[in-house]
Amino acid sequence: MEVEISRRRFLQGSVAMTVVGGTVGATSLLSAGHEGEHKAVPGIPSTVTTKTSTGKAEEIPFLCGICVNKCAGFARVEDGIVTKLNPNPYFPKSRNMLCPRGNAGIQTTYDPDRLKYPMIRIGERGEGKFKRVSWDEAYDAILNGTDRFKGLKQILEEEKDNRATIGYCNGEGLSKEGFETLVGQKLGSPNYVDEVSICLETAGGGFFATLGVYPEIDFEHTDYFIILGANRAEAIITPDTQDMFKQTKRRGIKKTICIDPRFTNTAAKSDKWLPVNPGTDLAYVLAMTYVAFKENLHNEAFMKKFGVGYEEYKQHILSHKYTPEWAEPICGIKAKEIYTMAREFMDAEAPVIYPGRRSVFSPNDYQLRRAMGIFQAMSGNIDKKGGYIYGNPIMLKPEYVNAPIYAQAEGRFDTEGIAFPTLKSGSWIVFRNMVLEGKNPYPVRAMLMRKHNPMMSVPNSAKTAQFLKKMDLNVMIDILPSDTAMYADVILPEASYLERTSPVKSYGFLEPAIVQRRAAIKPLYETKEPEVIYKELAEKLAKPLFEISKKYDKDLQAEITKRGEEKVFEEDGWNLADAWEKPVHEANQEAIESQFGKKAWEILNEKGVYYPHIEEYHKQLNPNEYQYYPKSKRFYSTMGDNKKVICKYDHLATKGIDTMPTWHDEWKFSVPEGKFRLITGRHAQFTQSGTTNNAMLRDLIPTNYLWINKRVAKKMGIEFGDKVEVKSEVGKVELLAYPTEKIAPNQTFMLHGFGSHSEGLELSYGNGANDATIIKDDIEPTFGAAVMHSTNVEIRRV
Amino acid sequence: MARYGMALDYKNCINCKACEVACKEENGVLLGADKHRIWVGVNEVEGEWPNLDIISNTFLPSQCQQCESAPCQEVCPTHATYYDENHVVRVDSDKCILCSYCMNACPYDARYVDDRTMTVDKCTFCSDTRLARGETTTACQNTCPTKVRTFGDLDDPNSEISILLKTREHFSLKTHLGTKPKLFYLT
Amino acid sequence: MSIKEFITSIPVNKVGVKDLLNFEKSPRNLLVAGLTLLFLAFFVIGVGNYLIHGHEAYGVTRQHPWGLLIAVYIFFVVSSTGMCIVGSLGDVFGFKDYEAISKRAIFTSIVTILAGFAVIAFEIGHPVRMMIYNVLTPGLTSAIWWMGTLYGLYLTFMIIEFVFLLKHDMKKAKVFGLIGLLVGLAAHSNLGGVFGFLNSRTISNGVFYPTYFILTAFITGIYIAFIIMGFRYKLDFPEKIRVMLVNLAKIQGLLLSILIFFETWKMLTGVYGGMPGRADVVKEIVSSWPFWAEVLFGMVIPLVIILKSMGKNVIGMYWGSFIGMIGIFFMRYDLVHDTQLKPLQMMKTREYMLPPEWVHYFPSATEIMISLGGLGIAILLYYIGTKLFELDADEH
Repeated sequence: MEVEISRRRFLQGSVAMTVVGGTVGATSLLSAGHEGEHKAVPGIPSTVTTKTSTGKAEEIPFLCGICVNKCAGFARVEDGIVTKLNPNPYFPKSRNMLCPRGNAGIQTTYDPDRLKYPMIRIGERGEGKFKRVSWDEAYDAILNGTDRFKGLKQILEEEKDNRATIGYCNGEGLSKEGFETLVGQKLGSPNYVDEVSICLETAGGGFFATLGVYPEIDFEHTDYFIILGANRAEAIITPDTQDMFKQTKRRGIKKTICIDPRFTNTAAKSDKWLPVNPGTDLAYVLAMTYVAFKENLHNEAFMKKFGVGYEEYKQHILSHKYTPEWAEPICGIKAKEIYTMAREFMDAEAPVIYPGRRSVFSPNDYQLRRAMGIFQAMSGNIDKKGGYIYGNPIMLKPEYVNAPIYAQAEGRFDTEGIAFPTLKSGSWIVFRNMVLEGKNPYPVRAMLMRKHNPMMSVPNSAKTAQFLKKMDLNVMIDILPSDTAMYADVILPEASYLERTSPVKSYGFLEPAIVQRRAAIKPLYETKEPEVIYKELAEKLAKPLFEISKKYDKDLQAEITKRGEEKVFEEDGWNLADAWEKPVHEANQEAIESQFGKKAWEILNEKGVYYPHIEEYHKQLNPNEYQYYPKSKRFYSTMGDNKKVICKYDHLATKGIDTMPTWHDEWKFSVPEGKFRLITGRHAQFTQSGTTNNAMLRDLIPTNYLWINKRVAKKMGIEFGDKVEVKSEVGKVELLAYPTEKIAPNQTFMLHGFGSHSEGLELSYGNGANDATIIKDDIEPTFGAAVMHSTNVEIRRV
Repeated sequence: MARYGMALDYKNCINCKACEVACKEENGVLLGADKHRIWVGVNEVEGEWPNLDIISNTFLPSQCQQCESAPCQEVCPTHATYYDENHVVRVDSDKCILCSYCMNACPYDARYVDDRTMTVDKCTFCSDTRLARGETTTACQNTCPTKVRTFGDLDDPNSEISILLKTREHFSLKTHLGTKPKLFYLT
Repeated sequence: MSIKEFITSIPVNKVGVKDLLNFEKSPRNLLVAGLTLLFLAFFVIGVGNYLIHGHEAYGVTRQHPWGLLIAVYIFFVVSSTGMCIVGSLGDVFGFKDYEAISKRAIFTSIVTILAGFAVIAFEIGHPVRMMIYNVLTPGLTSAIWWMGTLYGLYLTFMIIEFVFLLKHDMKKAKVFGLIGLLVGLAAHSNLGGVFGFLNSRTISNGVFYPTYFILTAFITGIYIAFIIMGFRYKLDFPEKIRVMLVNLAKIQGLLLSILIFFETWKMLTGVYGGMPGRADVVKEIVSSWPFWAEVLFGMVIPLVIILKSMGKNVIGMYWGSFIGMIGIFFMRYDLVHDTQLKPLQMMKTREYMLPPEWVHYFPSATEIMISLGGLGIAILLYYIGTKLFELDADEH
């Protein structure tokens, strides 16, 4: 095993360091004993930051994997070490940039705390005691178990091949579909929970139901902009962030209004910031809709043409008297402001109310997004320049997966309290809670997990811990020893995004493109690329699990009798590894060449980006900006008369959801005296819980602080940096206080993703507070998505 | 040969700190909050919730101003601080004796001590990394999400920066001290 | 006369280590000896710490790069220049009353500047590099270059003058003494200029420091004159010496009054107009205790002692000089610290921090040890000098 470099030595700053490709440093007058001990490890830089040299280097096109945006870049590789990540100017979506996390990907890849080799659990779940094993031993443990935990073979045998006893979860990424193929389609489990039910499922669903699209925005031609509950300066979404802030401050966009309970960095870039009570944005939007209807400011002809149930909606709004005066005490925005905004919005040439993309504030989120979609449509500014864009995404031909049919597999059960449970990814909270409360109709005994950290991302982490402990088998595929990995029985280390080639993907509506990431370096230590893991695991599991299916699956038995076992095994998809016959790079080449031609593949392979006519359209305009598509070729309007604005959605009534956005008083905002409403959010330097161990990013924000209003803090005797305890009805945490006027006196905020309990993460362990510990597990009724802003907490100094 | 400067469209800045990270990655700068060559400054927001003064929270990215009349260059006893051929203010770490006079003389807090060489360090406009390789952008310019920075040759009338400075109003910091900074904030 | 002959003909007492230990074991002397040994031990420990940990052993930061060691260096070179001035009164300008102290004063000026160099050697990051590149690629616009070079020359001239004094060659001593004095004054005002040239620090910029340095040098010189004469004669002064000391005290009274006058106007004009960078810093300075230590110990108390007796109370002035030297130390420390009080960059660079207000600094243990060590070195060298050389003036 290679010598690992202690992180403390990186951070000491007095280490005798050799800098790759550059000048040699180190001239403290005497060199101390401890510095000379570490050996340089081949392929791993010996310092936290490396200086780029002027020597030979390769530039490999990659896609950043730290967040959902997949910004394209070129990795500069010198002597087998990635020394710098530079932006790739060919990808329209990322607009030739890399954010702080994108740049810091080097520190994630070379994180000394990386999972380096497969491990199996030898202690208790959550203790973090593992022993190193070989890949074969790890796969074997998954199949056959050990004395500490059961294997899939035993579990499925006992459950008579009910594949639904296996649950699986996965986080967003380019290899996500592969894992879904493995566990969902090949292994036959229907019980999948992913990040959407703790994120944007409801927002996306609301817009889809209303407009048929979750739109992009053409900021270049927008002239009036309301952004509510989205913090694009700190929660970066490409290309929105880049486009938006070049137009604010009265340049292209004449007026930007930010509506957010907290004074975020986005508010700092707006012309006006109006604080709103958490979870009451719906009242505000309804009031604006009322003003538009009452004063006939909206585009009546447009709505008559494209609206479905428009007249009823108009009647509904007016008769409910959702006036600004009614809305003011509920949402906290002055009636005068609401009148002005509604009038200015409808009067503008290209107004936009920003759709937003985040987790749920309150149970009324679905209706909020519906109301926002309708309000935008009322201005007529959809499917055109300066408005909501439907665009023309490039559709890649879907991969065909030969999935076996499991007769014994039962269906999803996580439907309690949900009107429209999604078949694919259910609801994390309902799934988990029902299993904990014994409400599942059959046992769920295994969790196969990948690139997901529910201990820190799903509200009420005490319950998540219980849930994970209840399983007979937990498998985790990840790159860092996260909190959730501590509850795994078998850990399989994955190669990070700089170490792997991933399946191609298409992004963008207005300026669509296809992107591919290529591995900049070989997988470090003993890690393997995800697709290799899927294939090897599938190979290991295929035959033994086939034997079990043969025993219990009557349909399979019938087929075998008809056609013989060999044929059935190969042709009906029981050979689980056949989905990964070709390595990813080859599969990509085949797919692209067949759909777009050889030249397209050459361009994609070299530049990492391809779209039709790229060579003709792509130009550099000035040192900073590029043209991706000329304006005449961008897909501003693609829907023609096929647009629909569903104002009244009758289908919702079948499950007790309002067919039109309606206010209910149970959604009013109130905080008991002496308590605070906890709200969540992002800073641009971190992505959820995955980056808190990154040495470079931790340098920017060392820990998370609790925002508390300055005057309230003064009364409570709390000063900057004081330790405080935050307690809710589901848990309590401790962190440092940050008195600021940027938050309301009855609210509080902490950055998400800190407070890890995993000792394997040297920088994250015990650093800050985990908000999932104290957020209540409320759900919104439409899809069962997690509501994040309903928790009231107590704060006291410790 | 050239006379390098930088124009900053600072209203675009979202204080994401991508520039700080890119600078450290490109130039191998040590971690540590006081070991930065470039930074984004922001004042504490004024007012009391909910009446907050948005303008008081403006983000101002800053770094070494590469002054034409640099006080740091004047006060260096060993000529370790010098102007290179592109009029970028550089530090020759072989000559620096760490008397720290330049750290006190710089009105912009642009200098700090590099613990590895025990000499003074600062922004070099990526002269020994990107510019030495023939690239035309600095790390901070290249990575910025909202393209705040434009680096270029002030002596070239057709360069992007020259055109920007001729067509947009701009200001510089602490010009009353006579340092003639080459960083221009476009308003 | 060849150089070898020249050097061997310098009147030096033969002194061994035993002779060094042979002094009157009075409580006063034992106290001083004990402190000196303690300070020397501190010096060794402090330097050892610095060699292992580098600049991290010091409390200096990016915002406050000049710390206690710079202040102590200035303290020693001020003392040196001051002693040079006091010494020059006799042998350069020919004032008979002050001839008694010339030799001793010149020797003290050599000793203090050596102590100052010993301290600064461990503050400059690369002292060897400095000696090479100050010559190869000098920064001729740099006040530090001029100061360093001129102090080197000044030391040389002081040594030469001292040699001629030892040899009773008053004519040559006068020549080198004059040159040394002028070079010393130039060096010292350049040291003031180090602060005076800073256009980034409006509190320090301008004419005040270069000129005030010379004034305070003279004041410091007189304080030290009292101290070394008090030690020499055990407070039992012969008439000639007493007359000299009374005259010095009167001069001191005048100088202190001028200093108080200058300082008052400096503070007043600083506050006037509310100029940011000056007015707020002055208000901050005036409300902090080191400033009042400087004023009280360095100026007011000694002045009161002088005025009360119109300079005749030499014993009182002897004790007053100790108080004065404490005040002088604070003057040096304040000078260095006040220049850096106001952060140059007043914005927050991170979300989770308090906005910058005043720069805080406190010397680290290592810095304090090296500083005290410098004092120990000065005392030790002076003591060796009293044994090696005949420092009293010749009786004509």
